[in-house]
Amino acid sequence: MKPILSLQNISKSYGAVRALHDVSFDVPEGSVFGILGPNGSGKTTLLGIVLDVLIAGSGTYSWFDSMSPDAARRQIGALLETPNFYHYLSAFDNLEITAAIRKKGKDDRTPILKQIGLFERKDSRFQTYSLGMKQRLAIGAALLGNPKVLVLDEPTNGLDPSGIAEIRQLIRKLNKEGITIIIASHLLDEIEKVCTHVAILKKGDLLLNGPVNEVLVSEDQVEVKAADMALLQQALQKMDGIRKISGSEGTLNLTCEPSVTAVEVNEFCIKNGIVLSHLLLKKKSLETKFMELTNKG
Amino acid sequence: MKELLAIEWLKIRRFRTFWILTGLFVVLLPLWNYEISQGVIRAGGGKKGVNFLSTQYSFPEVWNNLGWWGSIFIMFISILVIIIVTQEYSYRTNRQNIMDGWKKLQFYHAKVYLVMVLSFVVTIYFFLLGVVFGRVNSGSFTGVFDEFQHTGYFFLLTLDYLGFALLIGLFIKKTGLAIGLFILYSLIIENLLRGMINHYTELPWGNLLPLQASDELFPFPLMRQARAAMMAQTPSLSMTVYACGASAWCLIYYFTCRAALLRNDW
Repeated sequence: MKPILSLQNISKSYGAVRALHDVSFDVPEGSVFGILGPNGSGKTTLLGIVLDVLIAGSGTYSWFDSMSPDAARRQIGALLETPNFYHYLSAFDNLEITAAIRKKGKDDRTPILKQIGLFERKDSRFQTYSLGMKQRLAIGAALLGNPKVLVLDEPTNGLDPSGIAEIRQLIRKLNKEGITIIIASHLLDEIEKVCTHVAILKKGDLLLNGPVNEVLVSEDQVEVKAADMALLQQALQKMDGIRKISGSEGTLNLTCEPSVTAVEVNEFCIKNGIVLSHLLLKKKSLETKFMELTNKG
Repeated sequence: MKELLAIEWLKIRRFRTFWILTGLFVVLLPLWNYEISQGVIRAGGGKKGVNFLSTQYSFPEVWNNLGWWGSIFIMFISILVIIIVTQEYSYRTNRQNIMDGWKKLQFYHAKVYLVMVLSFVVTIYFFLLGVVFGRVNSGSFTGVFDEFQHTGYFFLLTLDYLGFALLIGLFIKKTGLAIGLFILYSLIIENLLRGMINHYTELPWGNLLPLQASDELFPFPLMRQARAAMMAQTPSLSMTVYACGASAWCLIYYFTCRAALLRNDW
């Protein structure tokens, strides 16, 4: 699939602070692409550069196979850091400005305001909105004029749990309709639940990127215990598909190949004359994986 | 140009501060001049003083006189320009406009066009006020187009003030600080600089400082007569030099802001 956005060797510094260093990756068309990283890892800087509000120190990027940047931006709905609107104008008037700049009709406003649940407040001034409502309006503005791509920087900021779930559903629905979504977040949960692809940043370096199921392979661990621990360890060392055995507090932790199940471990032990007194399958969370990745080095 | 201005209009048409400040300008400028023409300010104090300024409302004096007061009242519109520009930064809508598809230059030109349109409309208003005051006080339209170049000067003065306000707004970005610096510069700093420069130069080159260059196009009404009498003794620069100076400043503001906006992060 051809990339919708392609970055080549993007670097950016703020004085002595290195915000991004030689970052290159492609965002495939039709993906939900997560940009993941702790606070200050360069996610917003990266999005600011591809949206033309920040200037890269070096490197290049191109949207839609080298479309002119401003024409490309009119096909992109973007939310960067905060909801940015004229405080003294209503949602309706603010969206009229967005539509005019994007060169789209303003008829979209009513269905969009209904979709984001702000239609009743369409004539209230932006400054009277709660944080969650402002965030919804920003997402609504991004949706104006049927964009091909959505760029969402921390889209669930300020939303309550039901709001977060709604956004997640909305992202899935829009993606099904063929919209590519680029989403930056420090919330793993958000990325894990909706993204098809991910790029992980740490202090401006791209640690890795690719499809979620390749990049974030979660290795399962099986925890076992038996009366004779030494015998158990000896036996399991002969079992296929076990990568590593480590012991702690009277239990053995087995790091297994993805194909190995707890049932197979149990069967193997019985065959070798060992009765397990404890068997527990531990799913390694994405969070552990992320911490491992971002804490390295 | 039309498209950019249409979007600027969407931004300001429901902006209360815009209507209040333009309203104050529209109402106070004629009211103030009406009171003076009726002899409210008199030399010697009280009602028995000499009503010397009211002589300045006939054609062609009315043009210079109105322009001189206009150069004070234009502060309202200058502050308005600063507010319009700096609030884009405080709302971060400058960024959003770019993300939504404007080029940085389009964002900038939208503001430049707004300044030009404001200057044009204010000049038309100045012209209408001049015609009305002149007609009422002269009793006829005789000489209405004498010294008509003042209408052009007034456009230049407005463009100079509003262009300077745009520059301050774009560079300072914070509304309060920008307004404070603008007022401080126009009332105090520029006068200090002008005094210093003029002290050391034979010709008053200090009069060519950004806002002073256009202020010089409208000398204080009575000073104008006094100056004409003293012209032979005091070295001075011609109106053409001041008009060129003010135009040059407008170009300098334009290119300085343009270069800075294109070079820097938003």
